[in-house]
Amino acid sequence: MTTTDEHSPAISAGTGPQLPGALQSNPLRDPGDRRLPRVPEPCALVVFGVTGDLSRKKLLPAIYDLANRGLLPADFVLLGFARRDWEDGDFESLAKKAAKQHARTGWNEEVWARLSGDIKFVAGSFDDDAAFDELAATLDSLRESHGIKGNAAFYLSIPPSMFPVVLKQMERTRMADNDASGGWRRVVVEKPFGHDLPSAIELNSLVDSVFTADDVFRIDHYLGKETVQNLMALRFANQLFEPVWNANFVDSVQITMAEDVGIAGRAAFYDATGAARDVLQNHLLQLLALTAMEEPVEFTADAIRTEKLKVLRAITLPHDLANYAIRGQYDQGWLAGERVLAYRAEKDVPPDSNTESYAAVRLGIDTRRWAGVPFYLRTGKRLPRRVTEIAVLFKKAPHLPFSHTDTEELGHNQLVIRVQPDEGVTLKFGSKVPGSMMEVRDVAMDFLYGEAFTESSPEAYERLILDVMLGDATLFPRNEEVEASWRVIDPLEEFWAGQQPAVYRAGEWGPKAADEMLARDGRAWRRP
Amino acid sequence: MTTLWDTTGTAVVQALAAERRTGGAVTSGLALTLVVVLEEKDTGDVEAAVATAAAKHPMRVIMVLRHNIDAPVPRLDAEVSMGGRYGPGESVVLRMFGRLALHAESVTLPLLAPDAPVVTWWYSETPKVIAHDPLGVFADRRITNVIRDSDPAASLRQRAVDFAPGDTDLTWTVITPWRAALAAAFDTASAPARSVTVYGNPVDPSAQLLAGWLSSRLGIYVPVERAEGKYITAVSVQFTDGREVKMTNEGYKLLMRRPGQADTIQPFPQRTTGDMLAEELRRLDADEPYAEALGAVSGMTDLAKRPAVRTHIWVDPALANQEI
Repeated sequence: MTTTDEHSPAISAGTGPQLPGALQSNPLRDPGDRRLPRVPEPCALVVFGVTGDLSRKKLLPAIYDLANRGLLPADFVLLGFARRDWEDGDFESLAKKAAKQHARTGWNEEVWARLSGDIKFVAGSFDDDAAFDELAATLDSLRESHGIKGNAAFYLSIPPSMFPVVLKQMERTRMADNDASGGWRRVVVEKPFGHDLPSAIELNSLVDSVFTADDVFRIDHYLGKETVQNLMALRFANQLFEPVWNANFVDSVQITMAEDVGIAGRAAFYDATGAARDVLQNHLLQLLALTAMEEPVEFTADAIRTEKLKVLRAITLPHDLANYAIRGQYDQGWLAGERVLAYRAEKDVPPDSNTESYAAVRLGIDTRRWAGVPFYLRTGKRLPRRVTEIAVLFKKAPHLPFSHTDTEELGHNQLVIRVQPDEGVTLKFGSKVPGSMMEVRDVAMDFLYGEAFTESSPEAYERLILDVMLGDATLFPRNEEVEASWRVIDPLEEFWAGQQPAVYRAGEWGPKAADEMLARDGRAWRRP
Repeated sequence: MTTLWDTTGTAVVQALAAERRTGGAVTSGLALTLVVVLEEKDTGDVEAAVATAAAKHPMRVIMVLRHNIDAPVPRLDAEVSMGGRYGPGESVVLRMFGRLALHAESVTLPLLAPDAPVVTWWYSETPKVIAHDPLGVFADRRITNVIRDSDPAASLRQRAVDFAPGDTDLTWTVITPWRAALAAAFDTASAPARSVTVYGNPVDPSAQLLAGWLSSRLGIYVPVERAEGKYITAVSVQFTDGREVKMTNEGYKLLMRRPGQADTIQPFPQRTTGDMLAEELRRLDADEPYAEALGAVSGMTDLAKRPAVRTHIWVDPALANQEI
C-alpha cells in the first residue's frame, strides 16, 4: 500500500519527550490512531541571525507552513535576535514578507494573524552582554505569559566564526542549561561543521560543552528530503533489494550531486571552502552512509546513527590519490543557453584562486558487505543540470545464453534513487526489443513521487524544524559522524593543497580527468 | 475523454486502456481504486472532492450513478477520462439504468486497478446494510456519510449495528482537528481528567463521536450538552489537580482558555469534503479508534473484533416493494 502521510510516522521515534511531572502517557494518544499529527510541546524557537538569507528564504517560511498545517504547539514563540534597531513589529513585517514570498502552502491571513502575536524580537550584537541578559529575561517572562514552560530551541543561523561568542554568551546567561530552565534547551547548528578535523573537534566540544551532546541538532537539509528517508524504507521494508545489496551483486555505486548554478554571491565563503568541504564532507558522505549501512536494530535515532557511524569509519581512500581524487574548476562557457563566467572571473574571487568547484573521488568501504566495491562520489557547480542521485550498478550476468551481438546494448542493471529533482526510483534492466530478432536493450521502470504522490512533499526544513521541537534526532548527524567524515576529507585536502585544479568548461559534466578515473576502472559515469 | 452511450462493460475497459495508451500513462502508479456511489444531483460536489483527493493519492476513480431501477430495458452509459476535472488520475463515470443497477459489480469489477486496494464511498445516501450493496462487499475500506441522511443520529447507530472493521464515516473524519487539539492539551497535563463535557448539538453525529472517543479513551462518561451551533461548539476539561481547559470553536480558529494563562488561538481551518476524503485515503487499514468511539456512542462492545469480510446479501427492491 502506498499513501501519503505528511505527519510521516515512518521515521518518528515515539511521541517526543514528556515534561517533568507530566502524565507518563497521554490517554488520548494511541499508536493505532494515525490521524492525529505529532505536535511539539509548548516551546520557543530563538533564531540568531534572523535577518539573514537562510532565515528569510527557508526558516521563516517553514515556520509559517508548520503553523498552517496545524503542527505548531498552541503555546509557541518565535524570538528573533539580530543587530538591528528594531521593534517586535518591524521584525513581524519582515517575517511576514518572507513567509508570504517563500511559503510552500497557501497564504492564510488568519494563520499569520495568530502567529504574529507570538513573534518577538530582541536587538543586540553577539558580544553585547546586556543584549543577552535581555534575551534571557525575555525567555523567562515568556515562560509565564506564553506558557512555553522553559522549552527553547536556539537556531544558530550565523557564520561559524560567531559560534564561540554566541555559545559563550549562552553559557554565561545559563540559557543553554536544561536544569536551570526547567525544560529542554536545544541548539540547531547549520553546516559547515568546521573546516577540517581539528576545527570540527573544537567546534563540537564547544557546542557539546555548552549544551549536552543529545541536545545538539546539526542540520543537513538533504536528510530531510523525502527520498532520502525513502531509501531506508526501500532497503529495509522490502525483501527484494536487500539480498543483492552487497559486493556479490553490486559492481559499483555512483553518488552525484550536480548544480547548474555558480557560486552566486557566496564567493567569500566558497573560495575558502571549496566543493569537497562544502558538499562532499556532509551531503555526499551522509548519502553514502545511508546507502551502505547495515540494517539498524530498531528504527530509532541512536540505532540509525550507530550504523551510519560504522560505515563512515570503514571508508578507505584510494592509494593512488593522483588518479582517484580529482578536483576541477569551471572555466567560462555556455550553460542552458546563457554565457557564464569562469570561476576565477566571478565577483570577489581572486583571479589566481585554486579553490575547486568540482570534486570526484573513489572511496572504498572495508566491510564484508562492501569490500571491493568502489563508491564513486562527485559534486560540482556549473554542471549541465541540477540533479542529485544515488545509482547502484549491479554486476553483469556471469553468463549470457544470447549471442554477443544480441546483447550489445545491454548495460549494468541499475537501481537509481533520485533525490532531487523528480524525486523517485528508477530500475534499469534489459528487455527484448519487439520484433522477430532476439535483441536485448536497457529499459527503465520508473517510480516518480510526483506521479504517485502528487501532493508536494514537505520542504526539508519544515520536517527538520519540527523534529528539533519534537526532540527526534533521527535525521541529524551526530558529532562523531562529522568527525569521521573529516577523517575522510582531510587527507584529500592535504593531497590537493598547492595543486592546480583541472579545468572544465562550464556546462560540461566535469573535467576529463574524472572521466578517465572511471575509464581506468573500465567504467563510465552515468549521465544523470 | 471518451463518452460511450448504451455500451457494455467490455467496451468501457477497452476505452480505459486506450485512454491510458494515448495519455502516455502506460506505467502504473496507482495506489488504489475509489468507487463512489452517488446520485446525479451531487455530481458537482463529488467532482470537487475527488479532484482534491486525487491530487494527493494517485488513484482510479469509478463513479457509479444508478438511475430508475424499474426502467424496462437495462442500459449503461460511460465517460472515461484521464486527468481533467476529476484531478490528475483516471476516472470512469458509469450511469446504470434498469436492472443493471442491481448488478453494478459486473461492470466495476473488471475496472478495478490490479492488486490495489479498493475504497467504496457512498456520498449521497448511506445504505442501511452495506452487505446489500455488492459495491461495498468487494471493498477493503468503506466510507459512509451519515450526515447527508434524513436522521443522521439514527444512521450513525445503524452504522454501529452494521459495522465491520474497515468502515469509517466522514462525521468521524471531520473531528480530527478537535481530537488533535485535545490530544495536544493532554500532552502537557500533569494529572488525569476528572470530567469532560462536549458542548454542541446533542444529535449531531460528530459531537456524539467526539464524546464517544473521549469516553472510550479516558474511561469516564462524557456528555454532549446542548449549546448554540449545529455541530460542536466547545469542549471543556477539568483535571483532578484543579486545572481546567476550555476550547471553543470561534469559526476558523480555536480559542483555548486556561485560568491563569493567556488565551491562545490556533487556526482551525474549515476543511472541504475533498480534504477529508484525502485524509481517509491516507490509511487503508481498519480504524480502531473509530470502532471504539462508535462502540461508546452505540453502547456496543468489541466492534473491532467483528469479521472484516462481508458476504453479499441479495435484496431485490422490486420484491421488497411488493411486500409493502
